[in-house]
Amino acid sequence: MTKAEQAVAGIVAAVAIALLLAMLGGVLSPTYFLFLFGLGGMYALMSLGLNAQWGFTGLINFSVAAFFGLGAYGAAIMTASNSPLAGGFNPIFGLALALALAAVVAVAIGIPTLRLRADYLAIATLGLAEVIRMVILNEGDYTAGSQGLRGIPSFFEGWPILSAFPETMPGLEIEIIPGQAVVLGTSFWRQLLNVSLMLAFLGTAFFVLRRAHRAPWGRVLRTIRSDEDLAKALGKNTYWYKMQAFVLGSLIMALAGVFYAHLNLFVNPGDLDPITTFYVWVAVMLGGAGSNRGALLGGFVVVAIREGPRFVGDVPVFALDPGPLRLLLIGLLIVLVMRFRPQGVLPPQRELIWPTAIDDDNRTTPKMGVREAKTDGEMQGSTDVSTEQSGGGDSDE
Amino acid sequence: MAVTEQFLELAANGVVYSSIIVLCSIGLSLIYSISGFANFAHGDTMTVGAYATLVAFGAIGGIGFSVLSLPLGFFLAVVIGIAITAVVALVTERIVYKPLQIGSLGLLITSIGIAFIYRALIQVGFSAGTYRYELEALRPIDALVQYGIRVTEHDVAIVISTIVLVVGLHILLQHTDLGRKMRATADNPDLARASGIRTRNVELWTWTIGAGLAGAGGAFLGLFNQLVPRMGFNELLIIFAAVILGGIGSVYGAMLGGFLIGMIVEMTPILSTVGIPIGSEYGAAIAFVIMVLVLLVRPEGIAGQAVGGEGG
Amino acid sequence: MSLLSSQVEVIPMSESGSDIEMQENSPVQSGTGRTGANLDKDDVVLSVTDLEKSFGALVATDQATFDVERGTITGLIGPNGAGKSTLFNLISGFYQPDAGSVTLNGNDITGTVPYKIVNNGLIRTFQTPRKLEGMTVREAMLVGPQNQPGESFHKLFTSPSTVAESERQNLAAVERILEEFEIDHLATQPATDISGGQMKLVELARAMLADPDILLLDEPVAGVNPTLANKLKDQIRRLNEQGTTFLLIEHDMNFIMSLADPIIVLDQGSVLTEGTPDEVRSDDRVADAYLGGGGG
Repeated sequence: MTKAEQAVAGIVAAVAIALLLAMLGGVLSPTYFLFLFGLGGMYALMSLGLNAQWGFTGLINFSVAAFFGLGAYGAAIMTASNSPLAGGFNPIFGLALALALAAVVAVAIGIPTLRLRADYLAIATLGLAEVIRMVILNEGDYTAGSQGLRGIPSFFEGWPILSAFPETMPGLEIEIIPGQAVVLGTSFWRQLLNVSLMLAFLGTAFFVLRRAHRAPWGRVLRTIRSDEDLAKALGKNTYWYKMQAFVLGSLIMALAGVFYAHLNLFVNPGDLDPITTFYVWVAVMLGGAGSNRGALLGGFVVVAIREGPRFVGDVPVFALDPGPLRLLLIGLLIVLVMRFRPQGVLPPQRELIWPTAIDDDNRTTPKMGVREAKTDGEMQGSTDVSTEQSGGGDSDE
Repeated sequence: MAVTEQFLELAANGVVYSSIIVLCSIGLSLIYSISGFANFAHGDTMTVGAYATLVAFGAIGGIGFSVLSLPLGFFLAVVIGIAITAVVALVTERIVYKPLQIGSLGLLITSIGIAFIYRALIQVGFSAGTYRYELEALRPIDALVQYGIRVTEHDVAIVISTIVLVVGLHILLQHTDLGRKMRATADNPDLARASGIRTRNVELWTWTIGAGLAGAGGAFLGLFNQLVPRMGFNELLIIFAAVILGGIGSVYGAMLGGFLIGMIVEMTPILSTVGIPIGSEYGAAIAFVIMVLVLLVRPEGIAGQAVGGEGG
Repeated sequence: MSLLSSQVEVIPMSESGSDIEMQENSPVQSGTGRTGANLDKDDVVLSVTDLEKSFGALVATDQATFDVERGTITGLIGPNGAGKSTLFNLISGFYQPDAGSVTLNGNDITGTVPYKIVNNGLIRTFQTPRKLEGMTVREAMLVGPQNQPGESFHKLFTSPSTVAESERQNLAAVERILEEFEIDHLATQPATDISGGQMKLVELARAMLADPDILLLDEPVAGVNPTLANKLKDQIRRLNEQGTTFLLIEHDMNFIMSLADPIIVLDQGSVLTEGTPDEVRSDDRVADAYLGGGGG
């Protein structure tokens, strides 16, 4: 482990212990903790999506909030009780609509903008995200406009067993500190179910991205990020790869939106505020562009920034409104990361080569086996090349 | 007849709004080409100008004679607001942007952080509520109402002040040594450096002028609407649209782009009157779509080449 | 401007059939304008005909016409601003030509996007080595092979064993070629930490992994120390003997004269002459072009 990894592991452990103690001591309700954990996972999910776009491929996408919103609205339109269109469907159909919507819009935005220079892409995506927000706000016949969509069921509504799970679970009372009983009731089990959904989404996205990142596919994306002309010169259809990364990332963001709709049970156009985009950017930058672990970490840190000011607001020294304090922290974090650690806290460390290939290779390729293929050109006494032939060849994993 | 009246009213409003966008576009365009990055803090720089003017006006008060129902004190306050905005931008440039070694994309992202810091500090100091300058609310000018035009004397003051500032900038650019260097640097920074222009000096002046104009734009936006912490950020994309339409790096392009985009945003209601089913709420959306189209079809903007080379 | 342009004007522009007398080995074929190139070659892999490109008022490529014969190491020289790099960009699809055509292996590739040109068997390198941030040398090398199954997203999940198998083969190929180039000790170094000269070797090695018919090298030894330059020369020769055609731009005259044959001389966007190194060296017009070009 690198120093940074050790530090992060230490801090994560400390925070986990502190939260556990807070819960046992009755300071933090387990239900609220699960809610926060779910939010953290939601941001982590969006960060993974942005990581595929910016971290892998170098696409500056400032429309994260729009795809998150499309996911949330896709889920809500199919399931909300006041949905002007469909409403009342099984949430699975909401999930399907959300993903379809995100994919179609991603392609529609991607076709024109992915040809643009990086900074133009940033401006264009931010502008188009605003267009999407305005459409959702103003087309009330489809989206219920500014009143938002309410009466969204939990994701597991209508499923066997799971839909009734929170009600059927017994209320538990855990008393570790005498007189400070922690009660786990229906709402706790409901949040637990939400968190399981989030973990399922997050696990899927993480698995897909990790595999893709280590594959030749991810290598092409990383080449594009570093030098798109080089990728073209090496025969890669860069536009097509950028489109794939853009759509994949957008789908993951929409997944976060679906989760949010069923967590919050209410969505409105305010959920597409561009500030969400920048929260996610902070998460990815902080974690380290291209690092999936970093994106996970960043997602949870961002929720700490988002929700933390609520608590410190009570402390007189920080007697600020949570709103500006949040904004200030995000702003300072952006500036400080760019100034002192632009590569992020957990930048990708290891070589990204398809895992089974590299292990076998190291085992079976004898060091001297292919030497004879070498021509017997004059051996140059080259200082920087032929001297240390021995040392480097073995890969150190 | 009704269409004509609506047209005149919207056009008059559009001219006032465009004036503000023009002021802000010039600065964003200059900074974009001379410092080499898209400054996402430019909108919040406007906000700084508006609140600085508010504070200055509160301190000075409505002293002196009035022009167009605005006391001399207000104009003084605007000048102080401009100065404070320029200082804030220069300090930011010096302690934040300058030490960074991360390329234009890193600067772009950093500027978002700066935007949030400006806005957060304004919210801390002034709360998230709305403010107005302590001026008497005006009725539209009677002489114009009969033509359907509803503008106040304050609106006229905004337009005239903009004209004064733009003409001043024009004289600076065309007839001073600094102006020539700025145009040359905006046109081609590498060439300018190669031909011995001290670009650092030019860069600092660019920030001063660009932020100062944004400060003026913000102060006038506060007069046109009201002051809220998000006022500048809300206009940011409109200003980007103007700059891109005009051509990045071209001062005169930014003026033209600012005027056109401002008019388009304000004139959108005319569309539904003439039968095109696009509501007035999509004014900004139209501007953003135009922006994307320009980026795709003519990234150098309408005036990109022509005006940039004109003075050389 | 003076000497050079008048020299070019003398060369007939029309199709009147008047040959360029000084060209011993290059009868000008009909249909092309002024070219000093030898268009009488047996097995042409790359053919450039009347290629034109202007940037505003600047004419960078002006009716450039030449052929590259399969199996050769063809040099492309010319004074600064002669349009060599523009020509590379036009051939490899990075610029769109205003007029003219490029034929590769008998297929018209004029104005095609770069990756399709690569599919047709042409790979290019860049003048300044491009470093891949965050990759080791062998990762950077692994971008070279074409049509890897692991480059298609769905195969990562539907047929991971195929992906693994091809990755294994490619990795073996990388190790082999790095050893052939005697830089296998660099394999696990960060690609950003190696010297410019080593990077040039890596780029050449990587280009070979794409198995091109013709390789366009843009100043392969610029900024490379003499030892490494010799090494590069040996490698180019070796690869050429194994069947790869080379077209290379180089400013280092000793390097190119001792490696390439024939040599095409480009001046002001069009082909001035073509010949063996000796012929080119003794051609007065070439010397004039360089003198003229140096001044302007």
